[in-house]
Formats: sequence, structure tokens, C-alpha cells
Amino acid sequence: MTNINAEYVLQVRGIDKQFGGVPVLKNVSLDIKKGEVHALMGENGAGKSTLIKIVTGVYTKDAGTIYVEGEPRDIRSRTDAADAGISVIYQELSLIQTLTVAQNIFLGQERTKFRLTKKKEMQRSVAELIGKYTFDIDPNAEVASLGMAQRQTVEILKALRQDAKLIIMDEPTSALSAAESEKLFETIDELRAGGASILYISHRLEEVYRIADRLTVMRDGENVRVLNKDEISAPVVTKLMIGHEVKNEKMRKEANRRSDTVLEVRDLYFKDILKGVSFKAYGGEILGIGGLVGAGRTELIRCIYGAAKPASGAVLLNGSPVSRSIAKNMRAGFGLVPEDRRQEGFVPLLPVMKNLALSSYDFLAKFGFVNTKKERTFADDAIGKYDIRPPRRDLQTINLSGGNQQKVVLGKWLARSLKVLLLDEPTAGVDIGVKRELYHYLAELADAGAIVIMVSSDLPELTTVSDRILVLHDGRFFEEFTGEVSQTDILLASSGEHTEEGRAL
Amino acid sequence: MSSTNIRRCISIGLVIALGLTYTLTTDSFLTTFNILQLLKDSAYTGLISLGMALVIIGGGIDLSAGGIVCLCGVACARASFIPGVPGIAVILITILAGAACGLFNGLVVTKLHLSEFVTTLASGFVFSGLALITTFKTDGRPVPMKLTNLDFISFGYNYSGLYKITIVWIALAVLMQVVLTRTRFGLYTCALGANEKSALMSGVKKDRIKIAGFMACGAFCGLAAAMVVAFQTATTQTLGNMMEFQAISACVVGGIVITGGKGDALAACLGAFFMTMVTSGLLKYGLSTGVHYLMYGAVIVIMINFDAQFSRLTDGGRVRKTKKNEPPRLSEVQP
Repeated sequence: MTNINAEYVLQVRGIDKQFGGVPVLKNVSLDIKKGEVHALMGENGAGKSTLIKIVTGVYTKDAGTIYVEGEPRDIRSRTDAADAGISVIYQELSLIQTLTVAQNIFLGQERTKFRLTKKKEMQRSVAELIGKYTFDIDPNAEVASLGMAQRQTVEILKALRQDAKLIIMDEPTSALSAAESEKLFETIDELRAGGASILYISHRLEEVYRIADRLTVMRDGENVRVLNKDEISAPVVTKLMIGHEVKNEKMRKEANRRSDTVLEVRDLYFKDILKGVSFKAYGGEILGIGGLVGAGRTELIRCIYGAAKPASGAVLLNGSPVSRSIAKNMRAGFGLVPEDRRQEGFVPLLPVMKNLALSSYDFLAKFGFVNTKKERTFADDAIGKYDIRPPRRDLQTINLSGGNQQKVVLGKWLARSLKVLLLDEPTAGVDIGVKRELYHYLAELADAGAIVIMVSSDLPELTTVSDRILVLHDGRFFEEFTGEVSQTDILLASSGEHTEEGRAL
Repeated sequence: MSSTNIRRCISIGLVIALGLTYTLTTDSFLTTFNILQLLKDSAYTGLISLGMALVIIGGGIDLSAGGIVCLCGVACARASFIPGVPGIAVILITILAGAACGLFNGLVVTKLHLSEFVTTLASGFVFSGLALITTFKTDGRPVPMKLTNLDFISFGYNYSGLYKITIVWIALAVLMQVVLTRTRFGLYTCALGANEKSALMSGVKKDRIKIAGFMACGAFCGLAAAMVVAFQTATTQTLGNMMEFQAISACVVGGIVITGGKGDALAACLGAFFMTMVTSGLLKYGLSTGVHYLMYGAVIVIMINFDAQFSRLTDGGRVRKTKKNEPPRLSEVQP
């Protein structure tokens, strides 16, 4: 380990952090040189975000020391971090769209004379800053007229004007198109050339190849290794991220694929996210869809369900085109368990009973009047069958635990005779016990002959629950895995690296 | 040309188009007398719109503006009856009364964390109610009282047709334009209206700005009330009736984004002038108030819809341009 040294803009030693007794960070260290782009990678839950939040004063550390340019710094708040020269570019940008670039950069710290803002002077100073890094941005442009990558540049400029020594970017490309990402990388190159240091957090290996000088890999709250640019390769990095691994056994020994229910997707295009996606799914199987966040998995599911309108392509159920109307698709036997449970999965303030019945009023109501007796029996059946706790149909759904909320969302669909169930990150925020139950219901549904399509970022879940896995990369299906598969292979395929186990598509 | 400028040109274009229509179809539109009258009438709506603009740009709304005008009318009349008080003092008292109403709104909104919509809806009733209670009465019935304070009434006079209210309106519009575009207060108001969270993160003091906005709006209502009372030499129970909607409409038509974050004083003035032109023009054609209301409604819907479409077209970050390699047409891949 390197010594504490003023050549390093940030050095972190022995950081521990627990949440409710569970260790999240264990003796973590990190070294970022002046003028380098340092990448930080790790699976979900490896502790990257927690580390960043400690460095920026959002969380307080349990133990350890933070050194800025060789001096120990006590960082307890965002202001402390800003004083130390550490800035974060947030994923959801914090610019005021109706103000100009210069106004945003100086917001809260305007220069004034006789109470009037010195517009010209601030514009000039922003123009100078832009010139120093040769960015391509007009200080007078309204932020609303800029593209996402340019808006990020404005955020970066805002940080630079406040003399940031280290700029932290957390998944900055998640909202960018490929062309915009390339622009961001150019910005990063300019920053490095100008002597700024960057800590770059990303899931995407290809980005790390492109821009990073060094890479720290984290796993389970510890830093595993620091790699130099020439040591970075997909197999090395994925192995470090996942660690020792036994191939997970499949939850279901075999799937009885049926040919009487077939969902076919042909050449689906959606914005510039899906670029010609084609596949077939069969009744009786649980089809897993893997890929990185932002690879287009959610969009694919939504296009199938009718919640998003693809630019072109066809979705066919048993040979006949699927409607673009959600209501019609529901009647045809489609169900969706969406990613954002609170916004789209259930109505938070309605009681459990109403949420369970919400998509079944076609048979729970007659002539527009709800058969309350039928509704109650329907809800009680579901509560009993799926063991929703507490077993009270009148409780507001928002008051249930995450796992039980998800049971309500799933129960809402399972009560109908489903042909196709689409799930998007079905077990996010669900505890392990309830997870198992949910998997069991999925298996039951598949056994009954339905098609189950599950998008998941949880690799153990994806590899054990799915009978077959398709990995989405760059808007297309990249590889298909049948039989037992290792998490490393899924991760490699997600990053666009071909594997031996997978069948290239 | 930026979208703001395009929108401004459209507002100006609307005013010119309507003016041309009137000029070509009636003889009495393009006369000095008529224009001065128009300016006087727009000044009343216009003053209130300036205050309303500030609140709307800050992301809020003030539905109590009409109530404030009504209450200020009574306050103004009462003040003018105090023996020996100079006219300017009457006006200042009225402005203070308006600002006090605004302060009440601002405090409720910021300290009790109630929505601006509900707060000002309720306080509007309160102010109107107070106005009715405090108005001059004989045998329990409100009576119109002829104002006799000549110094005050002189504020309703004109210089060969150019009314004082018009001068005040234009002067304050210029001041507000500077405040909104060139001061921290104006910048922070825009920031709050556009993205409250980010504004707070940048150290904008939300409560102060909100309260100041409401107080300014109240003060503008008070000033408008005083000028109109001076001109009419009397106040009525219906003074200020529906003025909040007139002002909001003026802001929207002028190009102030109703959800906040964008707009200036010039937009509010153009909107107020346009709305007044609609009314006065329709009067010339001999059309009823009912038709005015229909026109107002239509203009507002058209302009809001236009703004929605317009922002979709110009918001560079959200609209993705057509890709180079176009995907195949829907028909080519259908079975």
C-alpha cells in the first residue's frame, strides 16, 4: 500500500461502516492520484455507493481516515467535502433548466454590484473556464436547450469553478445515448489533460477500458485489488468482482416447454435503446433476461406489455399480433410486475383488497357495480394463498413490508388465468424468505403452462430461477445460456464479451 | 433564436394581429384616445399581473389577488377619509395593506407548509369577507361613498389623456424586468420555480423568496386598487372580482410558464395588454360579456397547449433527433 502522500488527491484508509449491525464496508482503502481517472467497480451491494457517500460527507464512517493531498480531513457534511475540493456529479442532474449555463454555474454565488448581478463578468469567467478545458458549450445557452451530455459538462464546470480537486461521477452514462457517452468521455479526457482527478463509478467494462488509468475493484464491502490500465481485462475484472464461485444449481430440474403457447418478438426497435430484438419464449418456461442497467431490458418488457410503443417490430402471441393497448393485453392474459413497485405496481393508499382486485374487476363487477362479497372472497383467497402478512385486507398497502407489497402485486396477476407474466426486478428490496416464496409461485405458474419472463440484475437469482437466459447487450440479444451457468459468464456477456458456455446470437 | 425569443415574438405578433384586425374592421381603434384608454385599462390588470408573474415564476399561484384588491379598495377608501391625510399616504397605506395580505399568504405557505393553491384559495375568501365586513354601511347595508380627498383623487387624473396609472404601470414593469433578470432575487425566484430541490442545494433561501414574492404580489394588488379607486372616486364590493384569473390569464398568454421557472415582466405586460384588447375590441363589436369569457377561455387553452407543444419541440435534451440508420418501417416486419 502506498504511503500517505501529497501526490494523491484522495487517500482513504481503513474505512469501516455498519448499517444496523451489518458490516457494509470492511477496512476499505482507496488511492487516487492527481490527474488520474480512477474507476471503481463492483457488483450491486459491493459498497461503492456507501464509500462515495462517506467520502462526500453524506454518511459518517465508523472507523478510518480520509486524507486529501496528504492531510487528514474530517468530512462530516457535504460542505466539508466541498471545502476539501471533492465534488459529486449526481445521476439526477441538479441544474435549473430555465437558467443559462453561466447562471447555473454561479447559482448561489453570484457576483453583484449595486445589487445587480454582473452578468457579463460571470459569462466571461465561465467562458474562460470552458476555454481552459476546450469544452464546446455556450455560456449563454439555456440549459433546457442542451443535450444530456452537455448538461453533465455544465455540472462538471460548476464543480470546477468551485475549485474541485476530485470529481466523482456515479454511473454518469446511465442516462446518455452512445454518442452522448462518447462526448462525456471526451470531456473526461479534457479534464485529465487539465489536471483534474476523477473517480469514475460504472458497471460497464467497456467504459472503464476507454477512460480509466487505474481501477479499484470492490466485493462484499472490501477492496479486492487495484489494477493498472494494462492489467484491466474483462475476465480478470469479472473474476475479481464475483470471487470464487460455484455454479448455481437450477431451481427447476427441467422445464416442460410447450409449443401451444409461444410468444414471439421480431426485430423490435425502440428509440435508440432496442436495436432489433428478436426471440421466442415458450409456455412452461421461466425465461431470464440479463444485461446491464440501461441495456434496454425494462424497455423490452414494456414494449411487449403495450406500455411503451416500439418504433418498429412485432410482438406475436401464438402467431397473432399483440395489441398496443394494456387493457386488451390484460384480457388476453398478460401481466406485468413492474420495476418501480410504488409508482406502477400498486396504488399505495388503497387497501390490500382493492389492490389485489384492481385488475380483476372485469369479473368482480357487473354493469359497473362491484360485487363486494365476491371481491372480499377474492382478496381473502389471495391473502391466504400467498401468505400476505399481516393477513388483513383492509390495511393500506403502503404499510406492508416490501416483500409483502410485492406479494400483493404478484397476487393481483396470479389470480387471473395468465398466459404471459412479465417481471422486472421482481425481488428488489425483498427479503430472502419472501424471495423463495415468490420463486415458488413463478415455478407454479410456469408448470401450469404460462410463459414467465423475468428481468433481473440479481445474478444468483437470474442463474438459479431461470430455465434459460438471454443476455441483452447494446440493444440486441448477445448470448443465450441454457443449463447451468456461472454468474461470471452472464456478467461477461452483459459487457459484450463472448463466453464458452453461451450460444452467440 | 432562442425559444424564449420566439415565444416573445409570438406574443407581440398576437397583439399586432389583433390590433390590425380591429384597425381594419372598425374606425375607432387606431386613435390616440382609444390607445390611451386601452393602456389605462390594461394598467389595472397589468399591475396585478406583475405581482402574479413573480409568484407564478417562483412556482406558486396567488388565487387571493382579487380578494386582496377588494380589501385594499376598502382600506384605501377608509384611509382617504382620515382628515388631512395626503394622497400619497393613502396610496402607501393601501400598498401596505396589500403587502400585509401577501405576508399572511407567504407565512401560511412557508411555515405551515400548506399548498399555495389551497392557502390562497382560502385567504381570498377571507380577504373578500373582511372587505365586506369593513365596508361603509348604513342600516347594515353597504353604500357607495363618494370619496372627497381631492389630493388622493388627483391620482386618477390624466395628463392630456395619459393616465397616472399607466405611467406607474410602465415604470414598475421596467423595474420588475430588471429585478427578474438582473438580481439575485429574480434569479432565485426562477430557480425555485424551475427546480426547487436544486435551488435549495445551491443555497437559495426558499422561505424568504416565497414570502417576498407573495408580499410583492399583495403590494401590487394594493397599488392597483388604490389607483382604480382614485380614478373611480369610489370603491365597490365587486372591485377585484375575478382579477386573479385575469392576471393569471395575462401571464399565461404573455408567455410565463404556468408551472414556474420562466418568464419576465414584459411577458406579463404583453399578456395584460392583449387580454384588455380582446375585451375592448369585443365591446366595439357589441358582443356581450359571455363572449368575452368564451374568448378568454379559448385563448388560454390555445396558448397553454401551444406552449406544451412548443417546449416539446425545443427542449433539446428530451427530444431525440432521428437516427442515421433508421429502423425498418413497421409494415416491413409485420407477419
